[in-house]
Amino acid sequence: MRDVTFVLPPHSVLLVVGPNASGKTTLLRLLATALRPTDGGGSVFGHDLVRDADAVRVLTAFVGTSAGAYDLLTVRENLAFAAAMRGRPDAPVATWLDRVGLTPVADDPVRVLSSGMKRRLALAQAWLAAPRLLLLDEPYGGLDRDGVALVAEMTEDTTRRGGSVVIATHEWERVMNEADAVLALAAGQPVEVGPVAQLTAADLAAAAGGRR
Amino acid sequence: MNGFLRAAAVARKDLRVEWRGRQTITATGMVALLMILLLGFVVGSEPARAAAILWVAMGFAAVLGIPRVTQGEVDQQALEILLLYPGSREHLFWGKCAALTVMLSALLVALLVLLGVLFGVDVWDHGGALVGVGVLGIVGLSVIGTLLAALVLHVRGRELLMPLLLLPLALPVVLGCVRLTEAILTGTAAGLWPAVLVSFDVVSVLVCPILFEVVMDEV
Repeated sequence: MRDVTFVLPPHSVLLVVGPNASGKTTLLRLLATALRPTDGGGSVFGHDLVRDADAVRVLTAFVGTSAGAYDLLTVRENLAFAAAMRGRPDAPVATWLDRVGLTPVADDPVRVLSSGMKRRLALAQAWLAAPRLLLLDEPYGGLDRDGVALVAEMTEDTTRRGGSVVIATHEWERVMNEADAVLALAAGQPVEVGPVAQLTAADLAAAAGGRR
Repeated sequence: MNGFLRAAAVARKDLRVEWRGRQTITATGMVALLMILLLGFVVGSEPARAAAILWVAMGFAAVLGIPRVTQGEVDQQALEILLLYPGSREHLFWGKCAALTVMLSALLVALLVLLGVLFGVDVWDHGGALVGVGVLGIVGLSVIGTLLAALVLHVRGRELLMPLLLLPLALPVVLGCVRLTEAILTGTAAGLWPAVLVSFDVVSVLVCPILFEVVMDEV
């Protein structure tokens, strides 16, 4: 990635668009501290991404394209594990299961779940951390209409608590109403940065395709 | 954040996954069983040879089983999420090490019973001393093994690299356990071997978690 500079204020949602291999996932993984920048840097709520990575991890939750769940554990056990690793062993797992619509399959092993249900589990694992920076990479994959609404609810909840959300997706039409700003990438470089309000749908479509 | 609770969560998760999949214990158990039977036939099943056969079988079983504990995270595409949880990676080390210790302990108990049956070793009379040696040996193997499993995680040909790294590094453990077990079973003096084993374990326990953090930062 090169020349990517942005400031994301609290209570706001950044939509990251761009064609395949444009650097969307890389950007999210950098913000999540899964990758270290070779040059340049950044901070999350005042914490440096490299020097203060653990403090960033406390504030951040990342939902990647894979659920990061264990096939042989049940949905409930996976969620309880995520809660324990987040330092919240007493988190109300049953409430979270209910909130994301996983109660009927709570005691099923993850290996029998559909991709949409696995995606809901990944969202729940991130949501229960009450993150201040929520990073969603292609969050709509496999989700039905209720699942899409769940992403919107999660986004709203995070911003209402003073947090920020970064959503990288090809399905940018779904986020248009929630996003405050857009960062369009092509080959690791920004082709468009700015408030959503200043862009037309045609501008966004062009930016999502990597064209200025 | 309570490190002990995080380590316990990792250990419980690994043991649950192992209990339901039984991949590691089946593979290590089969290797250990075959080695004991094979070596028993080749060198004879006199009680005097039992110590060496037991710990050589444990060593090779460990080589096979240890990488699976961490490799499972990669196979499940869960490693990145695991590393993104806040808190020291040392907690992950101790959780994985504890799970491995439990698995190797279960294997050792099964092998001791097998030795009692096949080699006519009086396991019951020396039970306490043998458990003591087992603890020292398994702690050493688990601590070194957990570090090496992380080290070879993304290396191609890790199945080859693991024995090349583990067997030389764990040689003091295997050798020490053979000599101590021999001494217990034959009633001879153990010499300096208890001190060697304890020293190895102490150094490993102090150094390996720190190196694990460094290794995981580069994963």
